[in-house]
Amino acid sequence: MSEIRGSKHSRRDFIRLAAGAAASGLLFPERALAQQKTLKIAKWAHFLPEFDRWFEGELAGEWGKRHDTRVVVDHVPVEKIGALAAAEVAAREGHDLFMFPWPPAEYQRHAIDHAEVHRTVASKHGNLDRLAHRSTFNPASKKYFAFCDSWMPAPLHFFQDYWAEVDMPLGPVHYYSLRSGGQRLRAKLGIPCGLALAPGLEGNVTLHTLLHGFNSLIRDASGSVVVNNARTVVALQYVKDLYRDAGTPEQLTWGPSGNVRAMLARKTSATTHAISLLRAAEKQDPEVAKKILLQPLRGSGGLIAVPHVTNCSVVWNFARNQVGARQFLVDLIDHSQTLYDKSRGCNFPTYQKTVPDLIARLSNDPQADPSWKYEALKDAPRWTVNLGYPGFADPAAMEIFNSFVIPRMFMGVVKGERSPGDAAKAAEAEVTKIADKWKRALG
Amino acid sequence: MRNVFKSVFLVCLVTWAASVSAQTTTSFPVFNPPPCDFNDNFYTVNGFDVTNLDTQAAGRFGDFRQFGPPAFQPGQANWVADGNCSVNDPNRRNFRILATTGAYKDDDGAPTQFLSIIAFVLSQNFFLTGSNALNARNLTLQDILGVLEAYVAPSQSVNGVLAPSPCGTMGDGFTPCFPVTSVATPTLRHDWRVSSNRNAIDGSSSDPRKTPPTSPGFSYFGDDLTGSWIVTYFWWTKFAVGGRPDQPTPTSTCKTILAAAGKQNGFSLDGTPILHTGDELHFIEGVPGTAPQFGFSQNQTNALLQAQATAPCGAEGQEDVGGKDGGAVWLVCPTILDPRNGAIAQDAFLDVVRKNGSPIDARFQSNFSCLQSTGKFCNE
Repeated sequence: MSEIRGSKHSRRDFIRLAAGAAASGLLFPERALAQQKTLKIAKWAHFLPEFDRWFEGELAGEWGKRHDTRVVVDHVPVEKIGALAAAEVAAREGHDLFMFPWPPAEYQRHAIDHAEVHRTVASKHGNLDRLAHRSTFNPASKKYFAFCDSWMPAPLHFFQDYWAEVDMPLGPVHYYSLRSGGQRLRAKLGIPCGLALAPGLEGNVTLHTLLHGFNSLIRDASGSVVVNNARTVVALQYVKDLYRDAGTPEQLTWGPSGNVRAMLARKTSATTHAISLLRAAEKQDPEVAKKILLQPLRGSGGLIAVPHVTNCSVVWNFARNQVGARQFLVDLIDHSQTLYDKSRGCNFPTYQKTVPDLIARLSNDPQADPSWKYEALKDAPRWTVNLGYPGFADPAAMEIFNSFVIPRMFMGVVKGERSPGDAAKAAEAEVTKIADKWKRALG
Repeated sequence: MRNVFKSVFLVCLVTWAASVSAQTTTSFPVFNPPPCDFNDNFYTVNGFDVTNLDTQAAGRFGDFRQFGPPAFQPGQANWVADGNCSVNDPNRRNFRILATTGAYKDDDGAPTQFLSIIAFVLSQNFFLTGSNALNARNLTLQDILGVLEAYVAPSQSVNGVLAPSPCGTMGDGFTPCFPVTSVATPTLRHDWRVSSNRNAIDGSSSDPRKTPPTSPGFSYFGDDLTGSWIVTYFWWTKFAVGGRPDQPTPTSTCKTILAAAGKQNGFSLDGTPILHTGDELHFIEGVPGTAPQFGFSQNQTNALLQAQATAPCGAEGQEDVGGKDGGAVWLVCPTILDPRNGAIAQDAFLDVVRKNGSPIDARFQSNFSCLQSTGKFCNE
C-alpha cells in the first residue's frame, strides 16, 4: 500500500510518538478508542445499492481497521449532492471526503491540491487517463482540485426484439435511424423511444452527448461561448422531431432514473444510461435483460459521449482528517479491480493498468446473455470525453452542467415554447453569464 | 525432394507472373495486384450474410452489373472473370474489377483515392447476427464501419430545379426532394470522398494523444478487411438553393459561400459547387471552430459561421439502417491500398462523374492515366 506522507518527523520524534502511542494504546485501550480518528465520507448513492453496501461494510470498514479510524459513510442521493456540498462549503464544516458523480470544479477554492494523491498513485499504477485528468485539473492554477478513481460510460440501451420489428435487429446505429426507426416502432408497437429529456442527471448526460454527436459545442477549447451555432439548432430541431415522431410525454416529467424504470418495465424501446440499467435488469428479470443490447450512437460528429458518472472525490481544505482522506483515496486505487467487480462493471478504472483485462472481461461477461454483450463498451474510453469538452471541466462548465442549461434549452423547444434558434440564443446568454461570472471570480 | 521444391517454386512463379501479365504489358515493375471481389467465406467470417449480397438489389460484382453503369461506353465491362484473383489473394474470388471509382481524400481533398464499388448494402439484414456477427477479433462489422465514412453527393436536380432536401427519412417531408435510392455514378452531382482514417500508426486514425480523441480507433486498412464503408449523404440546403415556401431563394450568406466554393473547387453537374474535404462540409454546415475555407479570412469565417446559425448552407445524413430509404446504407467498396505498380490494370477504366463524356474533375483522369501507364502518380 502506498503511503501518503504527512509532515516529516525526525527519528527522535518517531520514537517519542511510538512510545506515546504504545503507552496510550496498550495501557489504556479505552483511552485509545476515545482518541481514535474519524474519517467522514459523503458519497453519492450508487445506482447499484449492493455496491454501496460493499463500499461501506467492507472497503471502508476494513480500511478503518487498518488505519485505526472510525469511517463514517453517508450515502447521498445524486440529486441532493449539490445542495449538501454547497451547505458544507458555506459552513466550512462537514465531511472530510466528498465523492461526487461529476467533476466538482466549482468547489476548487475549498479543496486541497490533490497533486500529491495523484503522484503517490502514479508511482504505483502509472498515469491517470485523459478523461480523469481533464475532469480534475485546473490548467490555470496547475492544481488538481479533485481525484477521479472511476467513471461510467453511457451507451444507448435498446431492446433488440423491438428494434428487430422495424428491421433494425442490430440497433439504430446513428441518430438518424433512431428517429426513423423509433417512429416506425412507436407506430407499429406503440412503444416510444425513451431518451431522458428532463433536467436531471440522465437528461443532462443524454443531451450533452447528443449535442456533441451533432458536432456542436457549448464552449470551445479556449472557453469562448459557441453554443449558439448551426449544429446546435440542427440538434434542437432533431430532438423536437424525435419527440414528436417517436417520443412520449412522460419523457418531459421523468425524475431521477425515470428512464431506467420505463426501460425495465419495457415501456420504452431505447434510452441512454450507465450500464447499471442493464445490470439491474439482469438482477430483476433476466428475460428482460436478455433482450437489451448496448450501442454508442453516432452522429455527424462521430462517436462521442460524455460519461454518465465521473467519480470525483474532494478532500475539503477545511476537513479535519485530511491525511486520512488522502490516504483513503490512494488506497482506493489499489482496489480498482474490486471496484470494477463490485460495481458489476459499471465503474471503469481511470488507471487502466489496474484492470488490465478490461476488454477480456467485457467480451465474456459471466452475467450477460449473450456473454459478449458488453463488448460494445470496448472502445468507450476512446469515445467518451470529459464534461467541459473540448476544454477542461472548469467551474463554468460544471455550473452549466449543474444548472441544467442544456436540458432546459432542449425542453423549451420540445415543449414548443421557443424556436430552435431562440433557444440556442437564450442558452448562449445564460452560458455567457456563467462564463463571465467565473472569469471575474477566478481572475 | 529438392526438385519437388524447385518445381513448386517454378509453378508459383509462373502463376504469379501470369496473373499480373494477364492484364499488363508494362514497362514498370508490377507487384500490386488489381482489385477482385472477395470470396464468400471471407465475407462470412467478416460478418456479411452472403445470401443478401448475392441479390440484384445489392448488385454484387461477379454476379450482377457486368455491363451498364458505372461502365459508360458500349460493351464496356465493369468486371471480368480472372482465374488469377484467388492466386494473388486466396481471400478473393475470380472476378476482377475493372470499374475503378475515383474519390477525394477527406483530409486534404486530393483526387488520389481509387476504389471498387463491389456491392450495395441496403440494410442490417446484410449483416450476420448474434455470435455469428463477431469476427475473429470479437468485433462486429457494423461497429467497425460506423466510423469509416464514404461521402456521396447525389444530384439535387429534379426536373430541372434544385431540390433542397433528400427524399425519405433524411428529408424534410416536402417536395421536390432528390432521390437517394441509388448511388450509381449517373445519379451523382460530383465524385465521392472517403474518410482518411487509413491505419493506426500514420496519425490519420483516431489517436488518443490528439484532440479530440473521439471515436474508436478503427482504421480502414487495419480493421475493415472487406473495405466497406457507411455512406454519408450530403447536400446543399434550402438556405443555399431555395426551393421551399419558407425559403424560396438562397440567403445572402449562402450565396457568398457558394460563389467562393465554386470559384475554388468548380461546379458539379447540378450547378452547385464541388466539395473536396470534410472541413469544407463542416464549413457549409456551420460547425463551430471550423478553419477558414474557400479563401475566406478568419474574421470572415467567424461571421459566416455565425450567420449560418439558423440557416446552414449544407447538411448531411445517413440512411435508415432498416432499409426504409431503399438505397445504400453501407457499401462493399474497397479502396486500393496502393494504386501504383500494377493495381490499376491495363484494362481497367475510370469511373467518375462526367459531363459530355469528360470527367468534371480532370485530375482524376490524369492520376488514373499515369498510374495505368507508368505505375506511378503523375507527380512522382
